[in-house]
Amino acid sequence: MTPIVQVADLRKRYGEIEAVRGISFFVEPGEVFGLLGPNGAGKTTTVEILEGLRKADGGSATVAGVDVFADPSGVKRRIGVQLQASAFPDNLTARETVRFFAACYDLDVDELALLRLVELDERAGQPQAKLSGGQRQRLSIATALVNQPQVLFLDEPTTGLDPQARHNLWALIRSIQARGTTVFLTTHYLDEAEILCDRVAIMDQGNIVALDPPRKLIDDLLARGFTKPVLQQKANLEDVFLALTGHELREG
Amino acid sequence: MRQTRRLFALLLRAYLRDRTALFFSLVVPLMLMVIFGYLNLGDFGRVGLAIDDQAKNQSSAQFVQILKGIETLRVSELPADEALNMVRRTELDMLVVIPPDFAIAPARPGQTVPQIVIYGDDARPQQVAVGRQIVAQVIDRLSFAVTQTAPVIAVKEETIQGVRLRYVDFLVPGILGINIMQLAIFSVAFALVADKQKGVLRRIMATPVRVSNLLAAHVLTRLVIATGQVAVLLLVALVLFNVTIVGGLAPLFAVALLGTILFLTIGFALAGWATTENQVPAIAQLITLPQFFFSGVFFSKNAAPELIRPATNWLPLTLLNDALREISVQGATLWDVRVQILGLLVWTLAGFILAVRLFRFEKF
Repeated sequence: MTPIVQVADLRKRYGEIEAVRGISFFVEPGEVFGLLGPNGAGKTTTVEILEGLRKADGGSATVAGVDVFADPSGVKRRIGVQLQASAFPDNLTARETVRFFAACYDLDVDELALLRLVELDERAGQPQAKLSGGQRQRLSIATALVNQPQVLFLDEPTTGLDPQARHNLWALIRSIQARGTTVFLTTHYLDEAEILCDRVAIMDQGNIVALDPPRKLIDDLLARGFTKPVLQQKANLEDVFLALTGHELREG
Repeated sequence: MRQTRRLFALLLRAYLRDRTALFFSLVVPLMLMVIFGYLNLGDFGRVGLAIDDQAKNQSSAQFVQILKGIETLRVSELPADEALNMVRRTELDMLVVIPPDFAIAPARPGQTVPQIVIYGDDARPQQVAVGRQIVAQVIDRLSFAVTQTAPVIAVKEETIQGVRLRYVDFLVPGILGINIMQLAIFSVAFALVADKQKGVLRRIMATPVRVSNLLAAHVLTRLVIATGQVAVLLLVALVLFNVTIVGGLAPLFAVALLGTILFLTIGFALAGWATTENQVPAIAQLITLPQFFFSGVFFSKNAAPELIRPATNWLPLTLLNDALREISVQGATLWDVRVQILGLLVWTLAGFILAVRLFRFEKF
């Protein structure tokens, strides 16, 4: 299968700082691909170039068969985007927010069906500003799906969410993958990458330092003779937390 | 077109839900109108009197000098026809024409007595009465000093049909003008800079939306709000103050919309330049405050210092207020206010160029 995202020798600098230093990778259709790295590693810059929001200084990138540099709006038509630190227009309900983004793509959509997909149909008439953090992330995903994208880009989707909301969002991302959509996500939560991603690329200081399925990365590390100083627990604090408070979403 | 229409429908709905914005675009202007309308500031102040000295001799100079020294009068020297026009527009209360044969000398038998003509605005009877009395007293005093007798100058009085302009009639077009300015500049600048700061614009730019359609939707939203605002203000002015609107409503709204578009371009330019919400009020005040005072909103623009008057006459808000006032008070047609309309168009073009240069959606 031809890759759905293809990146070769991608470069971007801001003044003195080389944010992305000639990275190359590809994403296969239908997979959940994770871009990992500490803050400032160049993840968001890379993603925003692929989304057509930022110009690169060199290299090449195609997304869903479209050259990102030559036709950014062609890319935008084929992808769905959830940005880090973005917001929706004020004073609209959840349903109107979906309609607003449908209008941005000049498409007619069944807003309620999309909201049902992200389990927000009961909140359709509520002002989007009154939604909880997890609900707003789900609304954000609904707006990113209005154009039935081939690739869904999620930039740190679970940052700031409580454990229940994170698990709920993971389930949603898997169901989106099950519908055949490729998911490209960035995160700095390693458990999230391990649970969700088919393959992960680890980025540091503008370079990709590793790219493989999470299991293989772990096996390789162990093969190099790595041992964890502390014995692996059979359960961790998150398991305790979820066992005590349940998996049910807590939303006003 | 379809995209613009759909975005416009949602933006308008969102705007109407914004209580704070509605408060500022309706309640504040109404308050201004009611407060200033009841204060009735226009009835204070001095009697505006013009003199056309056709004699230009020693006696007439002395006469003019005395009138100029009187506190109650605001004296200006103008040719009669120009002054009469101003009286008709109630910009002046009265005109005194000094005849070429004016002299303060004992009357000689057989010779006619020089005759001063006073034109008074019938819309301002109190002011005219006061002015007339002062003129008569000055003549008496001068005559007595020279001849120790009764007046040697006759006074003829004429009444000019001035517009029955009360202060509130003058005020309402000014209030309309200032609110058009405030609404257009503040609503666009605040909303877009907030959207920019919160990342709303970034999110929208991640879609293939046509920027021109989105901007058009924003502009249409403001035009609808501005139209509604003008309608409500006019309605209250008619009901509460019984304001006379001589001219047509259609030209009034047309000029109001042109003014809205002009100030929207300034709002967009400001939104493009500013990066944080805190910068908006500072710059917006810098733009609006001088116009607030020098563009004839609450007082005649002639109250501005002589030195800056040529400049204030061409301020965008002055042009807008003048056009609105001519239509509302004088019954002017769009053709009659073509100079102001042309001026507004020039400003709109300048604002548009500025907005295009400063407003970069891609940067957000």
